[in-house]
Amino acid sequence: MSEQRDVCCSGDAKTLVLACSGGSNAGQIANNVMIELDKKGVGNAYCLAGIGAALSGFVESAKAARIVVIDGCPVACGKKALERHGIELSRYFVVTELGIEKTHDFSNLDRETKEVLNEIVSSL
Amino acid sequence: MKKIQILGTGCAKCMKLTENAEKAAKELGIEFEIQKVQDIKEIMNYGVMMTPGLAIDGEVRAVGKVLSVEEIKKLL
Repeated sequence: MSEQRDVCCSGDAKTLVLACSGGSNAGQIANNVMIELDKKGVGNAYCLAGIGAALSGFVESAKAARIVVIDGCPVACGKKALERHGIELSRYFVVTELGIEKTHDFSNLDRETKEVLNEIVSSL
Repeated sequence: MKKIQILGTGCAKCMKLTENAEKAAKELGIEFEIQKVQDIKEIMNYGVMMTPGLAIDGEVRAVGKVLSVEEIKKLL
């Protein structure tokens, strides 16, 4: 969103991608996948912490957008943070439901990110 | 005094929202000031991803749409 035209008075709703970015391999894979989806033009990476902190600009922007959430695990922090504000999700993914076991081992993130990204992209 | 901020870089929708906000505040007879926030970095600091945005007393109340006079009155 480096150019003015990207933000001003866009006619269509943006797609925003939010990831739990939690403290496990699964959370960090979710974060990595969010970045890759942004690079691919699927949607703009967006700040789940802003939603969690109930900052009005973030909440209102999310209400006006199509929302894709990637949670790391079934605790579903991302989904719950949005639902607290009555924000509906257009698409929802959980990393541990896509063949990844939740651990605190961060040594295979690149490979695991590719696996999850492929799964998600193929379903979009 | 109500502080009304219009978040947008100055396009037609932003100007229409400004016009509607002024009209709403005047019809309610409240003291107000309108500030146009046109700097893109400042807009992004609010977390706003689509414009125009409307903030009242520092709280963003709408994003990506031109609220009507009546809708703005309810927010004021």
